[in-house]
Amino acid sequence: MKLVTQLEDLLYQSQQAPKKEDLRLSAWRILIHESEAVSLGIKDNSPGDVYTPPSYRQGESGEVFLIWADGTCSQALVQLPSHCDPEYWHKELEQWRQAAYEDPDAAHIPAPEPLPLVAVEDPAIQKVIGGDDEIIFDQIKRWLTDKPAQAKMQGSIQAAWGYRHLRTSTGLAVTYQQSQFMSWFSFDSLVGGGFAKRRLIRPQEQEDLWSLTVKRYEEMQKEAQPVGPQTQVIFAPSMTEELLGQFILPNFSGERVIEGQAAFSKENFREQRLVFHPQFSLSVDPLCPLELGSYLVTSEGVPAERTVLVNDGQLQTPFLRVKDAVRWGAKPTALPQGTAGLFLKHQAEVPWSEALQGVEDGVLVLSVLGLHTQEAVSGAYSLSAPHSLRILKGRIVGRTDVKLTGNFLADLLASTTKTAHSDLSTHPYLLVTTGVQNL
Amino acid sequence: MEQKEIQTLVRSVLAEARGFDGYIIVRAQSRREWSMRLSNGRFERVSTGWDSGLGVQAFTPSGASGLATSDVLVGGVGQRLVEKAIRLARRNEALGTKPNRQIWEVPQVQAEGVNPAQKFFGEIPLVELEERVMSLHSRLRERFPEGVWQTSYRQVEEEWCIGRTDGTLVSFVVPRAVLMHQGTVRDQGRAQSALIHRSGMDATVLLEESGDHSLERKAMDRAEFARAVCAAPHLPSGHYPLIIDYGLAKGLAHEAFGHAVESDHMKESVLGEEGKLRKGLRVARSGISIVDGPLVGDWAYQPYSANGLLRQTVTIVRDGILEAGLGDIFSAEEAGMPVVGAGRAESYRHIPLPRMSNIRLLVERLIPLTPAEHLLDEVKVVRDTLLQHGELVEGVKNLLLLGYRGGQVNPKTGDFVFQCDGIIDVADPDLPIYQPSIFSGKILSALEAIRAGLGEGHYDAIGTCGKGGQSVPSSGGSHRYLLMDADQHVSLGGEHG
Repeated sequence: MKLVTQLEDLLYQSQQAPKKEDLRLSAWRILIHESEAVSLGIKDNSPGDVYTPPSYRQGESGEVFLIWADGTCSQALVQLPSHCDPEYWHKELEQWRQAAYEDPDAAHIPAPEPLPLVAVEDPAIQKVIGGDDEIIFDQIKRWLTDKPAQAKMQGSIQAAWGYRHLRTSTGLAVTYQQSQFMSWFSFDSLVGGGFAKRRLIRPQEQEDLWSLTVKRYEEMQKEAQPVGPQTQVIFAPSMTEELLGQFILPNFSGERVIEGQAAFSKENFREQRLVFHPQFSLSVDPLCPLELGSYLVTSEGVPAERTVLVNDGQLQTPFLRVKDAVRWGAKPTALPQGTAGLFLKHQAEVPWSEALQGVEDGVLVLSVLGLHTQEAVSGAYSLSAPHSLRILKGRIVGRTDVKLTGNFLADLLASTTKTAHSDLSTHPYLLVTTGVQNL
Repeated sequence: MEQKEIQTLVRSVLAEARGFDGYIIVRAQSRREWSMRLSNGRFERVSTGWDSGLGVQAFTPSGASGLATSDVLVGGVGQRLVEKAIRLARRNEALGTKPNRQIWEVPQVQAEGVNPAQKFFGEIPLVELEERVMSLHSRLRERFPEGVWQTSYRQVEEEWCIGRTDGTLVSFVVPRAVLMHQGTVRDQGRAQSALIHRSGMDATVLLEESGDHSLERKAMDRAEFARAVCAAPHLPSGHYPLIIDYGLAKGLAHEAFGHAVESDHMKESVLGEEGKLRKGLRVARSGISIVDGPLVGDWAYQPYSANGLLRQTVTIVRDGILEAGLGDIFSAEEAGMPVVGAGRAESYRHIPLPRMSNIRLLVERLIPLTPAEHLLDEVKVVRDTLLQHGELVEGVKNLLLLGYRGGQVNPKTGDFVFQCDGIIDVADPDLPIYQPSIFSGKILSALEAIRAGLGEGHYDAIGTCGKGGQSVPSSGGSHRYLLMDADQHVSLGGEHG
């Protein structure tokens, strides 16, 4: 019997006719992922190296959230038992009861609501999992054939497909299929490109990503002149994504805002304080078809919807899980899946090719060392960015090593900050005026 | 699953592969975890769980490999995984992978490790653990009400069994526990946070903290320091004589040096030449050593590798000379280093990679330091001790970097960065405090700049090491502080000089 079915039976029985009265549940929620994945990697130009061989992974696990008759809660990770013990789940239930704790704000299971229609599954990925996996092996071979001759290449491709099951005592019973496809490659561990969506990469996307990365690798081979204090800093889309993950996600977490552990207070949101430049907006959008951050329903049973976190530079709401929403006095919001599903927009965004032409004296930062060590609440950064690309008079002219000092929250508030659209990412290039020095 | 059950499972899977003319490694893992998080006097989460699974790595006779894993441990799963892994290995052979037959060379091992925990998992009921953690959390809030406090406690017990075609069967238990306080403080409209932890093998961590409250004292000291940092000025960037605490020293040894001697990195490492470890290279002054190896009771303890070999203690640098690397079975020979059982995996789902365990940076030239109960008192003792021994460099700032927030290194170029919680100038009798700024440079220059150790050894700086998409516990340390000369290739970021 499937794990989700075993748990449904157990929890329904514990709600309706428990074996012991202190094991009576008043409400519950089950979330189970059933998934299969295949992957293959390249290490030091070797396909399927002993550290990156073709791999298959199967999993069926999840979590339960329980509200007992006395109002206390329990949470537990669950997996199919490895042996047939008829008392197994009952023993687990006893242990979950022992782990009960008081959290009145969390003791809510939302009533079912209509779910949106969002494409989160690519049937082509199911075929890959089913054995039609030539696409992965062929792509790895092609990368190695086409790579710059002198480059040492690393890379990986992974396809995953499976079911997501959500059941609640309030009547929600959803099972849907979802898929993921992720690929990345790098040359000499200096320049790389990546793709991550709920669908296979299209040939044109692969070609564009490859060409751009090879071009940047070639540009990296030339030394360029040092930067000056007026040099404009441009964060590549992958950097923008990392900066959002480090400085924005924690500060817009409802839980952290409520607990006073974020850059902004609850009062700041109430008064819709201006924290970004008025041309910026920030939203969580899980409704974009086949994007990695898209879903039909949150793990707590809340239907997907678009939530604006910052509108015209002004705070609107943090993202709120069910418990946070109760404490905030609002409805639960959309939830970002990491940085996937998080969208930063500037009203005057232009294509990257156009923005590049306008850069007289700049440096394009492709990666930094140590971003994860920076203080999220203050927004301050002090980073080293070896192997950045120098831009002079609208052209990339070679490699330079820089260090950066600034504050990301201040960057987003500055009138000098602009964005440029990337065809290969949902995150934009970010053009900022910040502290930059030669490394 | 109990240890005997896991062993039986591994043996049965190996039996399924008996007719295969290649080589099989079976890894089974069962993991139990209890965790809880409190915020501002309330439980935010209490979670229990376990996870068991099986991984089969197959090698064709020529040395091409494939991996298949599952956590659905129902009847027939072993056979399905063996078949799947063999099929993938054969596909890999057809792809033209570089063969690796090193696994055929390792000796057979039969071992059953004893669980080193003092308190077995579950000996102290979860309810009692909850009460203790709440009591510690509440006490801290009462004593430092200006901070916003989060406390978390986590205890894990992992049982591993590794079986191989050659008859090897190795099983062991890894227990871990950690108590953490995270405080956020504000001053003059700015916020800073401080994270402090106490780790060990089991719930003894909580019992000890309930007795001596040493973590509480450290948390309050760190929060006080963080509050002072909020309003502190930035330092001009530059090259300074530095004093780094043992957390940062662990970071330096781990990020800047340990990763660069892992056998799978040798083709891209600054400490490799034509794919081989540059043995005999002088990388530091005489008297400096770097040692890596598991310590019983430590956060990163693991007695055997995930390939079923004994984990050895390795002197990577002896007396300033690069001597050995961290070699696993698959790449040690090619990297020109011995196999020391360095392969670690996050779980049965992952391929083991050469990794560190507990890494220590040791300096022969030791200046004694009288311990002080509170952080800022200790900083004063550091200044007095340096003055007394003529170790303060005159006419410039001598900067003490406190707290390790993490770091990163590019082993190919030797570039590293670390971040600290804040900085104190111990050359100034007023001990002014500065904002943290990035400590960066070239790894060889940083090691070369170390001139002395201050205080006894502390090896309990813990973290989580990420590599190849896998996270494993890491730990290490050094003397209480290390003294480093100013170096043109090691700098502090900050504002323009």
